[in-house]
Amino acid sequence: MRRFRRPARQRLLALVWPDLRVPEAETAAFTPMLDALDDLSPRVEAVDVGVALVDITGLEPMFGPERRVAARAVMLARSVAPLTVRCGIGDNRWLASLAARLARFERPDAPAAFRTLDRDELRDLPLALLPADAATRQRFTLFGLARMDQLAELPRSAVGAQFGAAGERLQALARGHDPRPLVPRRRPERVEAAATFEPPLDGVGTVGLTLRRLAAELCDRLRDRHLAPDRATLVLALEDAPALRVAQPFPQPALEPDWIARLLLSRVEAAARVRWSRDTATAGIQQVPEDHAPDERPEPRVTSVTLAFDRLADPATRQLPAFEAQAGRWEELRWSLERIRHRFGEGRLWRATVERPSAALPEHRSQLVDIGR
Amino acid sequence: MQTDAVAVPPSLAGALETLRARGLALRRGSEPAALARARPSVPSGHAALDDALGTGGWPRGGLALLDGPLGSGGTTLALGTLAAAQASGGLAAWLDLDGTLDPAVADRLGVNLEWLLVARPRDAGEAIELAAWLGRSGLIDALVLDLGERAMPERRALDRLGSLLARTAATSALVLAPAARPVAGAVAGVRVALRRSAWLAVGRDLVGQRVQATVERHRWALAGGSAELDLWFGEGRRIDPLVSARAEPRLVEDRPALRVVSA
Repeated sequence: MRRFRRPARQRLLALVWPDLRVPEAETAAFTPMLDALDDLSPRVEAVDVGVALVDITGLEPMFGPERRVAARAVMLARSVAPLTVRCGIGDNRWLASLAARLARFERPDAPAAFRTLDRDELRDLPLALLPADAATRQRFTLFGLARMDQLAELPRSAVGAQFGAAGERLQALARGHDPRPLVPRRRPERVEAAATFEPPLDGVGTVGLTLRRLAAELCDRLRDRHLAPDRATLVLALEDAPALRVAQPFPQPALEPDWIARLLLSRVEAAARVRWSRDTATAGIQQVPEDHAPDERPEPRVTSVTLAFDRLADPATRQLPAFEAQAGRWEELRWSLERIRHRFGEGRLWRATVERPSAALPEHRSQLVDIGR
Repeated sequence: MQTDAVAVPPSLAGALETLRARGLALRRGSEPAALARARPSVPSGHAALDDALGTGGWPRGGLALLDGPLGSGGTTLALGTLAAAQASGGLAAWLDLDGTLDPAVADRLGVNLEWLLVARPRDAGEAIELAAWLGRSGLIDALVLDLGERAMPERRALDRLGSLLARTAATSALVLAPAARPVAGAVAGVRVALRRSAWLAVGRDLVGQRVQATVERHRWALAGGSAELDLWFGEGRRIDPLVSARAEPRLVEDRPALRVVSA
């Protein structure tokens, strides 16, 4: 007889910040608090402003009992903003939300209130807690239904006949069932780091070391979240000149600061060359000092660097190198080829494919495909 | 008996020990070259030539000139080297200045086009600079710098390329430059002269040529070795098992008329 392993019982933690639920409240801290909760669980849902759901299934072996997991969540959120919070834990989003709603602060200055709620505990709770409209509540009262168990014990068909589909949903809630899944919010799409130079650096090419440091810092932050960037945006603020901004897609999502920094440096140098030649052309020869050849004109000085990664993706998509020897090296080579394209321009690097090997003319036998297009 | 340990002052002995620890031991004539401890050489695809080179193949970090007149098998030998390098898990590149590389022929000679980078530089200077960029990446095992029939590269540029390849010690670069033989020959660490000794024919079909390869210069091993190579054309290689198993290829004396027929 085959035995099937039972799936782990789902446990959700609902967090409600009463201060953020007030109309016209300052809600800027809500998103950073959700970012902080990402360190606890990868599945965090922003239900509404001031209300969040966190999937804490299976976290007990790592962090201890549920109450301790909730305390950790509170600690993470309060590290962003010291707001009071109600915490509720249940098997589904209805039970967790209701538990948070019923949680009571143990003392007036307590930072958090905590409560768990199981299906059995629903029985004696009033029906007024159900998310029903006023007309439905009034009809419940007319039928003499005041507690959850009174509605839960009715036949489903009878409830459907009297209250329709909405009534059936309310009865399911009264029985402690909620089929709505947790929908994790999208993970942060952009991370950014910046550095300011005082005094400013001479020339664009001198930012290489800073680029490497910023890229390493961002890669470390993303590595903890199992994410990798697919594009970088680099902004160089220049002294006495408009900022230089380049967006560079990567050959593949990667967490390699060296590759990223070298690629970005070649890209920004190419962009600086283009701007330099354009400026020289528009300025005309008269504006260039006589004792300076055009190539010797001093480059603008860099006052700050801002590096941002976006298009974050899962880095675990590079499995081919495990099966083919050249694949991994080719992936690495593509970063060098990208830099070569910046240096030499398009139309230099190709990959060949054989189309018609028996064709009479050599140019009909094969085809060259530009690498990078 | 006086030993080296006694003769060498302690400070010098310490310095030598440090050098050895860093892999920079001083080499005497009888000691094996430092190349022996580096990555293995890139095979040429011909065991006889690997033996004649003395380093087991084309040395990494070196420029090797395939020196021979047009039609002497330089391109075929270079393609065979790329195929052998790919067979050992490496990547290969062909810098094609004149655009004469036929990928279909490369495919027939065993080159895996999926892992072959074809570069089309604008001029000889750019070709050398591209080769330097590729060599600096350290990811290309074998690189062919085909400068075509007319290009005359600058010696300084080739010198810089040779220095850079020697520093990375990862890429073996083969140079095909019939017109630039004096310049490339002076710079290259290895120079192999190719001379056709006979055609190979099966029936009435020419399927290859027999080439005498002589190592005229070698910076990392003893020069002077030679090997006789049977370089098969694309079709010849395709029937190579048949040729070797059943039909003995007929050697045809190298006559100008046959060259015309081949063309």
